[in-house]
Amino acid sequence: MVLELKNIEKSFGEKQVLKGVSLCAQGGQAFGLLGRNGAGKTTSIRILMNVFPANGGEVLLDGKPIDYKKVKFGYLPEERGLYPKKKIIDQLVYFAELNGVKRSDAVKSVDRWLARLGMTEYRNKRLDTLSKGNQQKIQLITALAHDPQIVILDEPFSGLDPVNAMLLKDVVKEEIEKGKIVLFSSHQMNYIEEFCDSIAILNGGEVVLSGDLYEIKRNYPRDRLVIRSEQTAEIAESFGENCAVTENGELIVTLDSPDDKQTVMKGLVESYDIDEVKVFEPSLNDIFVEYAGHQE
Amino acid sequence: MKQFGKILKFELKNYFTNKVFVGITLFFVLAITVVMFFPRISETFDKEDNSTNVESYEDVEELPVMLVAGENAEYVSEIFSASFLDYKVEAAQGSVDDIKERIVSGDAECAFVMSNPTEYTYYVNNLSMMDMNTQIADEVLLSVYRMGFMVGNGISAEQAEEVLSAQIQHETQTLGKDQFQNYLYTYIMIMALYMVILLYGQMVANNVATEKSSRAMELLITSANPVSMMFGKVIASCTAGFVQLVSIFGSALLFFNINKSYWEGADMIESLFDMPVDLLIYMLVFFVLGFLIYAFMFSAVGSTASKLEDINTSVTPIVLIFVAGFIVVMVSMGTGNFDTTLIKVCSYIPFTSPMVMFARVVMTTVPVYEIAISIAILIASVIGIGVVSAKIYRVGVLLYGTPPKISAIIKAIRKA
Repeated sequence: MVLELKNIEKSFGEKQVLKGVSLCAQGGQAFGLLGRNGAGKTTSIRILMNVFPANGGEVLLDGKPIDYKKVKFGYLPEERGLYPKKKIIDQLVYFAELNGVKRSDAVKSVDRWLARLGMTEYRNKRLDTLSKGNQQKIQLITALAHDPQIVILDEPFSGLDPVNAMLLKDVVKEEIEKGKIVLFSSHQMNYIEEFCDSIAILNGGEVVLSGDLYEIKRNYPRDRLVIRSEQTAEIAESFGENCAVTENGELIVTLDSPDDKQTVMKGLVESYDIDEVKVFEPSLNDIFVEYAGHQE
Repeated sequence: MKQFGKILKFELKNYFTNKVFVGITLFFVLAITVVMFFPRISETFDKEDNSTNVESYEDVEELPVMLVAGENAEYVSEIFSASFLDYKVEAAQGSVDDIKERIVSGDAECAFVMSNPTEYTYYVNNLSMMDMNTQIADEVLLSVYRMGFMVGNGISAEQAEEVLSAQIQHETQTLGKDQFQNYLYTYIMIMALYMVILLYGQMVANNVATEKSSRAMELLITSANPVSMMFGKVIASCTAGFVQLVSIFGSALLFFNINKSYWEGADMIESLFDMPVDLLIYMLVFFVLGFLIYAFMFSAVGSTASKLEDINTSVTPIVLIFVAGFIVVMVSMGTGNFDTTLIKVCSYIPFTSPMVMFARVVMTTVPVYEIAISIAILIASVIGIGVVSAKIYRVGVLLYGTPPKISAIIKAIRKA
């Protein structure tokens, strides 16, 4: 299963929000959609889910225009909210039914998910009696109970304690293993880095960077070394201006050319007491700041 | 369509499990029950009262005193004794001030001070709204005066009495509509329509705004078609309103029939429950169409508000249009004149026609083609407003922040 957005354009009044957004997500993989606030993530998601039409471009599934009658979406919106005064089971079943599940199946599925997330005891409670984290878990069920092929999770980890975050990670991994397309949108880069194989960074309604995360990192010039050693001062002295000390005491040495790295590493290990030396790879956070740091 | 059914079911369940909805319905049913059983209950009490008080009845009541003074006081007081059975009529001596004092002190209740046979002053401490004494006195004095005049001019007392007591017999045959008889249905129907539209219209608007403010809308718009959503809500509220009315009026009808024998003589009430079928059908048609047209507008307006607090200001224009229609009908109901140009025009404008045309149909004779035109305009408008409202709804549910200006909404609809 391959989901593609091709050249999606969208304007609201005079304001062009999306300027030809293209991205491609594979089944059985997680895809990270990144961007600062107002970059066009939510608009892209809404067009993908057919909440409103795009002004241009197309949404394809396996190369063909997507048939919204056949494809089910699961959505965890960034702005959380359900019916605060209603019984949890009632609203969960309602949402599953709206997504095309028969009532009896909906009840079974919802009960299974409540059990999976340890929420069975709240089945007949009103939503507003639950803590924020538990409400979040209920909201997650609305995204998954109807067994969608495409799951879109907008900031899924916000407001969860570490134990619940762990539980959510497991659930997301299971969904990915089932071959579903999982689309993540988040500002918590560590989670994206942990889950997503591919990413797209949106800035000012355009995709400024997209592709396989590993490849993106590999494609950065490999001309910097990270060194951890007891003899930082001596090493720093020997490299002079080409060397910087990071906050956690590591040294980053910039080489004249990536080709020198083998020689320099060898020399370091022979001359000093080195704990670790490796080629510097930027974190997703670094990449994000580089590409989305300036608002277009 | 499938989604529409599910939304309708969900929304209906919301109404029927809502404590306020159930409470209000039960309250009205209970109130109607009490009203309908009232004659039976009061009769039962009366019987008890009579049986216990029979012996003491005579000596318990001391009749209030009515004084008669001035010219021919003795003679007038004699005549009055026969006419005012609820009073102990006494001829009084003394000045007007004495009489006034006796009344103020409570010694007497009222007094007639005669200036001449056809002129008097009536003194009473607090003049009750129901005080008919002067009317009775006028009649009595007038016939005494006429009688005296006739006898004085050579007509025998028997002949004079015959002339004075002659009654005109008459009968009215209504060929069109009897406004008096139909007044009550129209009144009740208009009030019911007014209450239900405002109440349920606001409920629909609040319902939409609540979904938006609780952000449940974020999930709803991705799970359901906004048009199904809006129609589901509107039809659910229409059904709920209808069920409420049917349970209230149905219980009224049921309890009326149970107590029918106790209501004999109450023509107004009897005629109400004897409503002709054609009027009932008109009532249903105008009710449903009128309800829909307003509920669509309320839901569209509700969708543009992002907070519940915004609803009240947003719905004001709709409420104003509606109240204007209501006032037009009420004024005509008061005067009984349904032939003004205003009424005729209003009976074709879809926002006012449900009330105005219904009132015209019930209170006057309206040609069938006029009713048909009015209903046709109404149906076309319901469809038109339904479509426009669905478009506004589709755009409105995604808007957050300050409620958009009308021009912005129109722009958005054109683009959608």
